[in-house]
Amino acid sequence: MSGTSNLLELQDIHAYYGNIRALKGVSLQVTRGEIVTLIGSNGAGKTTTLRTVLGIVRPLRGTVSFGGRRIDRVPTHRIARLGIAQSPEGRRIFAPMTVLENLELGAFARVDHDGIARDLEHVLTLFPRLRDRLQQKGGTLSGGEQQMLAMGRALMARPEMLLLDEPSMGLSPILVEAIFDIIQNINRLGTTILLVEQNARMALRVAHRGYVIQTGRIVLHDTGAALLRSDVVRKVYLGEK
Amino acid sequence: MTDRGGLRSLPAALLVTALLAYPFVDRALQAQTVHAVTDAMIYVLLALGLNIVVGYAGLLDLGYAAFFAIGAYTMGLLNSPVLGSPLYGHAWSFWVIIWIAALVSAGLGVVIGAPTLRVRGDYLAIITLAFGEIIPVAIRNLGDITIDIGGWRPVERLNLTGGENGVNPVGRPQLPGVNFDTDFIPWYFLILAIGAGSLWAMSRMRDSRLGRAWMAIREDETAADCTGVNPVKTKLLAFGLGASFAGFAGSFYAAKLQAITPGAFEFNVSIMLLCMVVLGGMGSLRGVILGGMLITLFDRILLAQMTSLIRSVGRSVGIPALISVDLTLWRWFFFGLGLVVIMLIRPEGLAGRRLRPPAADVDEGEEDLALVAAPPRPRAEAIPRWLRQPPASAAVVNSHPILEVRGLTRRFGGLLAVSEVDLVIPPRGIVGLIGPNGAGKTTFFNLVTGLLRPDRGEIRLGGESLIGLRPHAIVGRGVARTFQSIRLFQNMTVLDNVRVGGHCRLHASVAGAVLRPPAVVAEESRARERALEMLAFVGLDGRGEELAKNLAYGDQRRLEIARALASEPRLLLLDEPTAGMNPRETDTLTELIGLLREEIGLAVLLIEHHMEVVMATSDRITVLDYGTRIAEGPPAEIRRNPKVIEAYLGKGYEEELVSG
Repeated sequence: MSGTSNLLELQDIHAYYGNIRALKGVSLQVTRGEIVTLIGSNGAGKTTTLRTVLGIVRPLRGTVSFGGRRIDRVPTHRIARLGIAQSPEGRRIFAPMTVLENLELGAFARVDHDGIARDLEHVLTLFPRLRDRLQQKGGTLSGGEQQMLAMGRALMARPEMLLLDEPSMGLSPILVEAIFDIIQNINRLGTTILLVEQNARMALRVAHRGYVIQTGRIVLHDTGAALLRSDVVRKVYLGEK
Repeated sequence: MTDRGGLRSLPAALLVTALLAYPFVDRALQAQTVHAVTDAMIYVLLALGLNIVVGYAGLLDLGYAAFFAIGAYTMGLLNSPVLGSPLYGHAWSFWVIIWIAALVSAGLGVVIGAPTLRVRGDYLAIITLAFGEIIPVAIRNLGDITIDIGGWRPVERLNLTGGENGVNPVGRPQLPGVNFDTDFIPWYFLILAIGAGSLWAMSRMRDSRLGRAWMAIREDETAADCTGVNPVKTKLLAFGLGASFAGFAGSFYAAKLQAITPGAFEFNVSIMLLCMVVLGGMGSLRGVILGGMLITLFDRILLAQMTSLIRSVGRSVGIPALISVDLTLWRWFFFGLGLVVIMLIRPEGLAGRRLRPPAADVDEGEEDLALVAAPPRPRAEAIPRWLRQPPASAAVVNSHPILEVRGLTRRFGGLLAVSEVDLVIPPRGIVGLIGPNGAGKTTFFNLVTGLLRPDRGEIRLGGESLIGLRPHAIVGRGVARTFQSIRLFQNMTVLDNVRVGGHCRLHASVAGAVLRPPAVVAEESRARERALEMLAFVGLDGRGEELAKNLAYGDQRRLEIARALASEPRLLLLDEPTAGMNPRETDTLTELIGLLREEIGLAVLLIEHHMEVVMATSDRITVLDYGTRIAEGPPAEIRRNPKVIEAYLGKGYEEELVSG
């Protein structure tokens, strides 16, 4: 692609998830510095899209580019080193390791020790609950705390781009608010964000742009504010009667 | 069904004809393979028995050959004239001993299993490995026993097992008009009959309440326990029944060979059997038969034939290196290579259920945007009739609250996870349990469902204490739950997941599962019907034959609720049921909870972070923070409680309330 400012670009992606044809020609772009959200129902292909970006699912057809470079055939661990981190759905943390070790692992690919120490402090300020539990084993945290740990670990990689898969799931209302503030903060500090959320209202509020995905196809695409006003989105994804 | 049955009966008839005609064809061709094939069938029978333990129940057993040894030595001890044992001279009939051998093996399976079943995975494998080593050593050392008590020797130089030399001869079966002495064909038909009978029994067990319980344990032991399956009993049954088939195989083996030595039951036999199961496909009867046949016949026939072929080629060409080749020395090399190749190209085994089913390309076309994402709304008429009857778990309806928790306390190290919590749910009550992340809500659930034991406090269900009961027993009393991180039996079908939910309301025993008397047939068809009704009620009709893991997230949540309801509970504990659901699915679930209370009087304890759900459904709400109760009351009070707003709801929630 020519010198666009697109950091991440998906072009006509077709992919299977298990035996289901989960993506049927998904195209989307995320510009450097943006928060872009992908909303849709369960099974629409949101998580498969993220997995395709990370190289966990390989597309049958189509291309994924990051910073102008094709990454759809690059191994997952190398994609991580290119500057994409994820905070996964289902809280995949390292259960037998302590909270601190989990966070340090997030910075595994980094060598700037001062930066790592600063970012650790930053993460613990964002999630004070994790500071209380630094020496506890990850597996003994409650579900919501594991969610915070997963997010903190992703931040520790100081990624250029952060993929967030349902960051608000299982969090108390007060933390749901906090987490979207945190997402905006991280973004202001320079991280580009692709956000997948069931909480479409909050996601569209913080996002610059949004895509609506349905049974593997992008069906709507607009600014976050415009999508919030869209009748269809309000009815289907915001649950308004 | 009848069409498929007709189509399927043709290959089956061909197979039976081939099996019956084979030894006579072999004789006519003078191929002399019956002997080897009969031996192969012994190992197939062993592999099938091991499949119950490893394939169905998911318990890695590395010492299964020990049960083979026990079966063989039971035959040897009871049916040989040479031993110096007290049993000498009582050469019993083969036809009696073979059953005794199965019983002895099964008994030992249970005895050995009992202490080992508290452990799982690697630990269980190590313990069974040790057991597999102990048995041959014990047999070697029991050939010469002397007990000396201060010069008095009640037992002197007793030969119980024949020691290193083994037992020789072992008596043959006697049957009028059948020659078991010099002819291999009767042996072939005998093992064919034993094998066919075993296969019949196994397939019926697999398709019963028992088989489903084994697979549930394999998939997720904790979830199975919380669904009403007694894990200890279920695993012991797998060990005992698995061992009993080794008893049959062992006693047949001893009688056919007429001699047994401890060397025939070493570790490598256990490993070879495990290879057969893995190669064929764990949990697949057809696959295990295929795997067993391939490995033994490869060993006994192919390697030997190839060796002689290469040698004759070597002789005719005149290459000395080829003449001295012995491929049978390489058998473990070939086994290993074959297994590696199979695992790389078909990790599920030759006939196992495919891990990656062929891609189905169902293109739904362009849907109307507004129509998708709306799960079917729950309807009162769709509530299964049987759920409306007073639940089987309900004892006498009395004035006690459904759930009464007093002073519940549980500590993890220095952390008070739950501290002096009181909570009461009246009949037909719906109570919300909310609080910040890490406040102890799920720990509270785990205490009520018996996964954790409280340090202090009382938990009563309808007036009866639940303290000290195991989770499956608590399900039996009428408490069902779902999990925050969905815990379905992933590799079982949707229908079977729900049927496991009804496990504790079914009664078929092992004998019932195999013999299928009318009562069991009726029970099974009722269980199936009820499960289908339940799936229709939660909006999963027509999805019964899919694997649970292939369902979309929201569907998995609904399936977990269906599974919980199938145990006919009086109290349902839901742990964040709408996590990961979109607003429409959330609405549907809210309606479903209300409907269950109105229509069948189900009481619900609900952990949930979606306030619209909690506020809409709950009569009262209890708020936990740092393990203690900070507030309790009706929703309208709770949402205005400053403590709750500060710790949990946040100011934004208040604002949203005001703005509507």
